[in-house]
Amino acid sequence: MAIKKSKKDKAESTTVGENAIANRETEGLSQGQIIRKRFFQHKPAVFSLFFLIAITLFVYSASGIHLGTEHNPINYQGWWHYTILDLPDTTLCGEAVGCPTLDHPFGQDNIGRDFFALVTRGTEISLMVMVIIGFLGGFIGTVIGAIAGFFGGWVDAVLMRFTDFIITIPTILIGAVIGFRVGNLGVFVLACLLGVFAWTGLARLVRGEFLSLREREFVDAARVAGASNFRIIFKHILPNAIGVIIVSVTLALSGAILLETALSYIGLGVQAPDVSLGLIINQYQDSFTYSPWLFWWPGAFIIAIALSVNFIGDGLRDAFDPRQRRRIKRKDFVLVAAKTRPGK
Amino acid sequence: MLAFIGRRISIALLILFGSSFIAYNLEAYAGDPLAGLAESTAPNKGYLIATLTRELQLDVPPPARYFLWLKGVLGFLTGHFDLGMSRDASPVISQMATAIPVTLRLVTGATFTAIVLGITIGIISAIRQYSRLDYVMTFISFLLFSLPVFWVAVLLKQYLAIGFNDFLGHTDANGNPQASIPVEWIIGISAILGVVFAGFVSGTRNRVLITWAATFVLFSAMLFGISSTNWLLNPQLSIVGVGIMSIGVAVGLTYVLTGFENRGALKAGLTTAGIAIVSYYPFQFLAGPSTNAFMILGLGLVSMAIAFAVGWFYVKVDRGPVIRVSMFTALFAGFFMLVDRIMQSWNGYFNSDAINRRPIPTIGDSNPLLMSNDFWIQTLDGITHVALPTMALTLISFAGYVRYARGSLLEVLNMDYIRTARAKGLGERQVILRHAMRNAMIPLTTLIAFDIAGILGGAIITESVFGWKGMGTLFRNAIGNQDLNLFMGGLVLTSFLAVMANLAADLLYSALDPRIRIGKK
Repeated sequence: MAIKKSKKDKAESTTVGENAIANRETEGLSQGQIIRKRFFQHKPAVFSLFFLIAITLFVYSASGIHLGTEHNPINYQGWWHYTILDLPDTTLCGEAVGCPTLDHPFGQDNIGRDFFALVTRGTEISLMVMVIIGFLGGFIGTVIGAIAGFFGGWVDAVLMRFTDFIITIPTILIGAVIGFRVGNLGVFVLACLLGVFAWTGLARLVRGEFLSLREREFVDAARVAGASNFRIIFKHILPNAIGVIIVSVTLALSGAILLETALSYIGLGVQAPDVSLGLIINQYQDSFTYSPWLFWWPGAFIIAIALSVNFIGDGLRDAFDPRQRRRIKRKDFVLVAAKTRPGK
Repeated sequence: MLAFIGRRISIALLILFGSSFIAYNLEAYAGDPLAGLAESTAPNKGYLIATLTRELQLDVPPPARYFLWLKGVLGFLTGHFDLGMSRDASPVISQMATAIPVTLRLVTGATFTAIVLGITIGIISAIRQYSRLDYVMTFISFLLFSLPVFWVAVLLKQYLAIGFNDFLGHTDANGNPQASIPVEWIIGISAILGVVFAGFVSGTRNRVLITWAATFVLFSAMLFGISSTNWLLNPQLSIVGVGIMSIGVAVGLTYVLTGFENRGALKAGLTTAGIAIVSYYPFQFLAGPSTNAFMILGLGLVSMAIAFAVGWFYVKVDRGPVIRVSMFTALFAGFFMLVDRIMQSWNGYFNSDAINRRPIPTIGDSNPLLMSNDFWIQTLDGITHVALPTMALTLISFAGYVRYARGSLLEVLNMDYIRTARAKGLGERQVILRHAMRNAMIPLTTLIAFDIAGILGGAIITESVFGWKGMGTLFRNAIGNQDLNLFMGGLVLTSFLAVMANLAADLLYSALDPRIRIGKK
């Protein structure tokens, strides 16, 4: 449809209120559809979402799936022809060994391990830790925040003081306890234990939402209709607070991958023989001068993952929070004017 | 109010008690302090184990030992404050006393730079929402948000320390030192800076192109001048540079804070800049090699007082903005003079035996070989050591402030009272500076309070990459060596500050925003 941008159009457009535009945008759509539509209008977020999915598929298919314990491993080898245990010969190139070649696109480390296999495996583990920390923290935070905010009074006071209490226990201590005493129980246990302590911020946020939502009429209506507290919390209030929760969990995910890599970097996170991106950077940071590829690739993967998660979070925030939506541009006014004019 | 504070403090103490009890037992459980000795082959092994057991009271089980430790901590009530002994038989308090100043030097600068820079950029970004500048700043802040600090630190060490030192170490054909920048670098840097500055202006394509060209020419000329005169080997601003920059700052600040219509502010700013120029030579005389920090601080206070007086006497009404312009001008002019004075010591520092023409270090907080009583050379040594870690910390922490400041200002700009302010005919400057910003900054107080309280926690990773022995390293070593008392000393300090910051943030919030009443249901 061609829109004539005549002066008359513009003059008329200013008389059309903002509501018309807001309505036009959401006319006849369900809440979920509106949010999905807004999210897909945020180009960086959509691009990041596909990028993140692509990285995940690529990494998992290349390196394979590795589950189970040390004695009882469940391994599915991926399409990449080296594993992190292979030690192919290295070639000397200049002052370094194991430069990137066709056979080893990311190069090799000083003992010959294929760096592509190492980095994909490390990314796999870092992604897994990130997801476990994010979702476990998200779950606990939501439940505690919801209960505190809904019941208020002494329940709220106790739960919030408990939150304050968890905040004062440093994460590094948890890493130390696992690392030095419990031994290497594997990445899964580490991620779960870190997740158990990573819910405090979300709990406060959810509590705030619940404190204001429980005063609304629809909660009274539900109660009058005979709904139980459990039902009110999870069926009535939670869907209204889900935006805050999803956005906050997404942003916590990027925090989680940085937390895991940082802990592994100082030796208190993922321990050898497991690999993680932080651990790889720690092991090879001194070889930067001669073998810079050992440094660039793991860093690039951390940044790529954290960056795309951040953009997805930003897109979700825009989609869920209409207060921060785009300013209405003149172009939209013209469009609405054109559509609302009778006989056109 | 008092009852509220009292209740909060008593709850805070309970939380501290609980968390320190748990942390104590977790850390005691995390490792056996005698494990290292048990494997040793020293002939007096039994004696060493017995000594350590006695000194650290290891024969008492951890939950009970916690109360022995707590007794020492509570000793501050009776004046016998005691955090116990660390494993190397020195008091924990004295170890912390050496670590705290190191951490303060490292983290304070970075925290404040991040706050000031982040909020400024966030505000600009919000005012120009959905402009090119806003998109670029959003992308950069997300990128910095996603950077692991250890990765940035290694890059900074490689390129800004080793690379820059190599660059300064070059000599020409006759063996004379030279620091000439390659032409392609000059062009590249100027072109990039041009893009940055062109991003700041909005408007027609012509205007953007003109800005880019002007920036490109200006910076090419400057870099060429720097390169051909070997300025980097013998840097100085001299009275001319200080003068031009001070006047520029006075004009710029007047434009941003009050607008040129306010003649009083412009005159006051320029007068202050003039006073700075006149005092250039007296300052050189006062700031000799044997000066000290108190002297410099004193001079700074005097200049602030003069600037205040200048602003006060120029106008009779609405003195606030005028005084602000005048004092900020004085602040910047003083900073330029300090920079100039430090630059004068560069040559001596750069060529001294301890430095040996490699001025930017990659590890450590000071150069132990540097034998100099010159205050300025000592200062310069501190600056070169703190530069890279500060940069790394600032880079990763300022992105958060950009996002918060932007979001908060955008929210405020949508409010009805802003519309009212605009409707009654106030200028955009008044609306932003006097109406919007003051309210937009209130939510940031919480963030700032926490970050300032977090300073003493140190920066574990940054300290470890750059080899600083501050609180972060103390924590990490305490955990690695199962040094329980040392660990608890650090923990008590940081968690106490965190809890207090929480309280201070709440009180500050209600003081700044009267709508929020604390302690009321």
